[in-house]
Amino acid sequence: MNEEEAKTQAVEDAKDGIKRRDFLQLMTGAFAALAAGGCRFQKPAEKIVPALVAPEEGLPGQAAWYATTCGACPAACGALAKVRDGRPIKLEGNPEHPVSRGGLCARGQGSLLDLYDSQRYAGPRVAGAPVDWDTADLEVIRALERARASGKAVRLLSPTWASPSARAELARLRARFPSLRHVVYDEPSLQASISAHRLTHGRAALPSYHLEKAKAIVSFDADFLGTWGSPVQFTKDWAARRKPDVEPGLMSWHAQFEARMSPTGANADLRVPVKPSERYGTIVELGRLVAQKTGWSGAVPPSGPTSVSRSVLLQTAAALVAERRRAVVLCGAADVASHAAANWLNHMLGAYESIADLERPAAFASGEEGGFDALLAELDRGEVAVLIVRGCNPAQDHPRAADFRKAAGKAGLVVSLAGRPDETAKLARIVCPEHHYLESWSDHDAHGGVISLSQPALSPLRGTRGALETFARWDGRRATDYESIRSYFRSSVLPRQKKTRSFETFWEDAVRLGALTLGGGAGKAAFIPSSLPALKAPPVSAFGYEFIAYQSVALGDGRQANNPWLQELPDPITKTTWGNFASFSPSDAKSLGLVEGRVVKLEAEGVSVELPAHVQPGQASGTVAAALGYGRSGIGVMAGNLPVVKMLPIDFQPASGADVMPLSRAAAVTVGLLSRVERLTKTQTYDHLVDPLLGERRDHARETVLADYLLNPRAGNPAEAKAHSLWKEHEYAGPKWGMAIDLNACTGCSACVLSCNLENNVPVVGKSEIAKSRDMHWLRLDRYYSGPPNALEGSPDVSFQPMLCQHCGNAPCETVCPVLATVHSTEGLNMQVYNRCVGTRYCANNCPYKVRRFNWFDYAHADLSANLALNPDVTVRSRGVMEKCSFCVQRIYTAKADAKVEGRVMRDGDVKPACAQSCPSEAIVFGDLNDPKSKAAKLAKSERSYRVLSELGVQPSVHYLTKVRNKRV
Amino acid sequence: MIKLLLLSALFSHAAEAPTSLQKDAALFQAKCAKCHTIGRGDRVGPDLKGLSERREKAWITGFVTRTAFFLDNDAEAKKLLAKFNGVRMADTGLSEAQATALIAYIDAASKGPVGPEEEPEPEAEDPASKVRLPEEGRGAWLPGIAAGLVCLALAAGVRQLGFPLPAAVLLVLAAGAGYWSLGGRRYHRLLGDQQGYAPAQPIDYSHATHAGRLKIDCLYCHYGAARSDAAGVPPASVCMNCHNAVRKTAGAMEPSAEIAKLVAAWDTRQSSAPASIAWNRVHDLPDFVHFSHRVHVANQIRCQECHGPVQEMARVRQASSLSMGWCVNCHRQEKSAAPSHWKRTGGPLDCAACHW
Repeated sequence: MNEEEAKTQAVEDAKDGIKRRDFLQLMTGAFAALAAGGCRFQKPAEKIVPALVAPEEGLPGQAAWYATTCGACPAACGALAKVRDGRPIKLEGNPEHPVSRGGLCARGQGSLLDLYDSQRYAGPRVAGAPVDWDTADLEVIRALERARASGKAVRLLSPTWASPSARAELARLRARFPSLRHVVYDEPSLQASISAHRLTHGRAALPSYHLEKAKAIVSFDADFLGTWGSPVQFTKDWAARRKPDVEPGLMSWHAQFEARMSPTGANADLRVPVKPSERYGTIVELGRLVAQKTGWSGAVPPSGPTSVSRSVLLQTAAALVAERRRAVVLCGAADVASHAAANWLNHMLGAYESIADLERPAAFASGEEGGFDALLAELDRGEVAVLIVRGCNPAQDHPRAADFRKAAGKAGLVVSLAGRPDETAKLARIVCPEHHYLESWSDHDAHGGVISLSQPALSPLRGTRGALETFARWDGRRATDYESIRSYFRSSVLPRQKKTRSFETFWEDAVRLGALTLGGGAGKAAFIPSSLPALKAPPVSAFGYEFIAYQSVALGDGRQANNPWLQELPDPITKTTWGNFASFSPSDAKSLGLVEGRVVKLEAEGVSVELPAHVQPGQASGTVAAALGYGRSGIGVMAGNLPVVKMLPIDFQPASGADVMPLSRAAAVTVGLLSRVERLTKTQTYDHLVDPLLGERRDHARETVLADYLLNPRAGNPAEAKAHSLWKEHEYAGPKWGMAIDLNACTGCSACVLSCNLENNVPVVGKSEIAKSRDMHWLRLDRYYSGPPNALEGSPDVSFQPMLCQHCGNAPCETVCPVLATVHSTEGLNMQVYNRCVGTRYCANNCPYKVRRFNWFDYAHADLSANLALNPDVTVRSRGVMEKCSFCVQRIYTAKADAKVEGRVMRDGDVKPACAQSCPSEAIVFGDLNDPKSKAAKLAKSERSYRVLSELGVQPSVHYLTKVRNKRV
Repeated sequence: MIKLLLLSALFSHAAEAPTSLQKDAALFQAKCAKCHTIGRGDRVGPDLKGLSERREKAWITGFVTRTAFFLDNDAEAKKLLAKFNGVRMADTGLSEAQATALIAYIDAASKGPVGPEEEPEPEAEDPASKVRLPEEGRGAWLPGIAAGLVCLALAAGVRQLGFPLPAAVLLVLAAGAGYWSLGGRRYHRLLGDQQGYAPAQPIDYSHATHAGRLKIDCLYCHYGAARSDAAGVPPASVCMNCHNAVRKTAGAMEPSAEIAKLVAAWDTRQSSAPASIAWNRVHDLPDFVHFSHRVHVANQIRCQECHGPVQEMARVRQASSLSMGWCVNCHRQEKSAAPSHWKRTGGPLDCAACHW
């Protein structure tokens, strides 16, 4: 060491307070001590803290199930919440609910994570500062009293609140504050249908549809298998008639006239692209043809423009008339005239006698016409003293949200009941946060003749309060939600049923079942033909592209925009995650010179949004479609174009997309091309079933048409060639688990994907990882386009295929694993042993189905409270480990243990993997293939059954059933 | 053990009708024996010896079949309830015929010889006697010491012969063997091997007293083991079933300080910050392993086969290694080698049986 160095060293030593030589000596000593003294290996001590008094609901490690009602959308499906050790970890459809009957959609499943959102309010706030409830209540009550004294208006703004006890509570509040009025709006809403029924039937009601009775369904833009009305119920009913092998003549025929490619259109037997401006004309034209065939002599509505070919309309009319009283026309338009014309068709077809029930109407998304606009005018004039906002977010979720933001400042006091910060809550002076629906008591009567009741599945996580209790406090009473609902049930629901006269019996039954079917009805409503000639065709825009703002399957109206599970759920049609886009038809894309990802600027009435473009086969030319709910800022990490920072430390990509709500009322937009490209993050980039080189159709997604199927049940499904194997066949002494998936029933709704995520702790990986094809979903839904050569220009046939680990008998993954981390079980499962896996990824490379997923990182949650949603029965995988579908092995072993403890043998249906459980169309059936009586074994042996890539000789355990299209050629 | 003695006593008396009495004895064990004895003094509930001499048959039958009603309405029952610290008898779910049979059984057992001095049961009769306790290696220090002494002697010999270096090596080996046998083996082991782990607990609770001397059934406290995957440590309310009344250890004059800790915790149950007892976990499997107690209990595996002689442990220790090899050893049992009381020989050997 020269002098200079020594000096530097001395300076550094002085800085550190320890000399280098001393440090080295110390370290040597420490290592020696460690080596000699005893490397004592002991795990960190853990504590067991039992409760002082045993809780009533079961034991640690045991799951309790509570009947509740899903609060993710207005359809109010029945759900069961699985509670482990005091926290809900899974939502499943309630098989005993009379409407949803066991299905639950993706958004419903995902709503569990909203419960554990760490950004939820911890308690009431006044002017942004946390206060106690009394302070907040006092200020609200004072404002209400002042409004009463001065006679100024008090307004409650909410979406359709189909809760009878809430209505009763509001009536009490109104008795005290007579200037209170309840303004209801929904966006998007089914309100046009209600207005149309007022016109054509003299009854402002939304019919309940019983699609299981429909043998011919013609839908105009109604995405009833995706987001329109009550999708789970409709999917269940629709799928009941998509099983050709149950009995001949069961299959329904379904035609869809629509502008964008919706999941419903993708499942239709006949799909015709129709621009929104031609919808009315098409319905009327179809109506006239049906009128001719049925001998309708009454008035007819004025015709409108349509370019749908006459032969298609004739075919449709013939199919409808052939199934009179078993045919229905659905309309998802926002204009009253189209609905009224559809009502006319339904009347001629006799649908009101069987399928469309106006006597027990439904009540979802049925906000009043013009209510919001009237409120804005009142606000503008400064007439509103107190504005209470509950369950909606008018500062964002209405096309006139910008006007609302301006007008809200003129209200005396804005009170929000939002449970978590949103755009409206930020404008509000007082926030009285309400519970998440899993924390509160509530009742629902969204479905005609049915009352659903939900009980809390856990005690409130935060200092929130039920909405009914909040209203009761403002009314000067102290009544909890529980007390209000119970008293309502005692006084108003008990007398409506005849089963029991004891209230306690009745109440316990209602709580346990979660729903009650009540009789009653409003009587028949007669059709008014004279209403038809006055209908006016909606105006046609002269410029630009017709604009469609739709609800996506993943996000719906966007109220769950901060939910990472839903953000990462691929859209069933486009397979895009984390963001929305503008869809164009292939011909428009060609004429505009668009390629996928090119950013376009959509502009109308001074509002513009920028979105990446997507070219969608099957979309009507001259239209552009974009999903609602994306691109919101300031409401959370996931929704606000912000990356999940902690989740992926290396690089990230912000969620793309823009909020199209401001544009959603525009009939048409102009399209400008920007000089930017934003790649869409898709989980599937290959769309076609036809091999581009050979021109041959690949046969992993098989299909046929009904006419061929009836002649030959094996149509489109050539028998499996006998494969020669180098391996000795496995022997399965006990059960051999297998699955049958009916491609004819699968609608692509993606409920199975989300259900699998929840059950198996599948991590969210974020947009940049998806862009690298590192998606983690154990079950993916492949979507393929097929059809005649030019089909992609017109409307292609679409097939969906759920693809998961096929649990091969001769699994290619097993033979290449160097550490035996993936091996075959004695029951036919292909097991993945996480703690053996060293991450060579040989197995993933050798898997012909590409269903294995690798943990490139520790996908920890940035939001630790979201960890409460983890399933304690399933290992949380760490970095460097391969994972894949396990056939829900935890459920298999739990079912075995149940049978063992109850001293019985296992029965068919005891094991239901998460995907099969949540499937609204019952397309997935799981069971023991060794048991010839099991449902899965019977399906696996049916003529429609085949196995994907069976020519490889891998002996998969998953059987698919050929799709049978009911095409009328 | 108590069951065994009662059974043996009965068999000697009523050898002509063993099946019926055997059934009744089993019923008594299942329904009554957790809280009652016949001739061994009061437990949670009164001693039932000579029951039908004390009370009318109709009253007993009524009490047994409609317990809740009697406890609420009957004066005699209320008196008993007060005497036994307000611990309500749970509903038995017994029919009248079963109750009558139980009374007959209690009468027979009251008259019959009860107690350890009567006719020792031949051990072979007891299926549980085949319980194989886990190998804990508690005698492993002996060969260690022996090896150490041998090394020491050899070292001395070799030194005498004039080879200092080998002698030094032998000396080191001797020291190593000594260290190993005198406790070192507890600290130097494979990662995750916790055999013998016996941490001190916040309350010096003795299984030797409760399970051993008082013969309280394992499942009385760890009732979760039969119904849930997790056996669970009992909530304090279970302890207080007895300790409402019992505040002293046997033979002691002063209330026990350890029981006082329990009572202190119990008294906070209504407060806003209940002070639950934080026990130190002894048996802890890795997070990637799933073990279901209820399946093993349903297959009639005895608790001791994995947990060791808990009824002799003043402080619970981990008797087995709980390693995968140890689990698989049982799962691999052939029918001939497995204990006869097991309901099922062997268990699944699939990885997925435990690793989800």
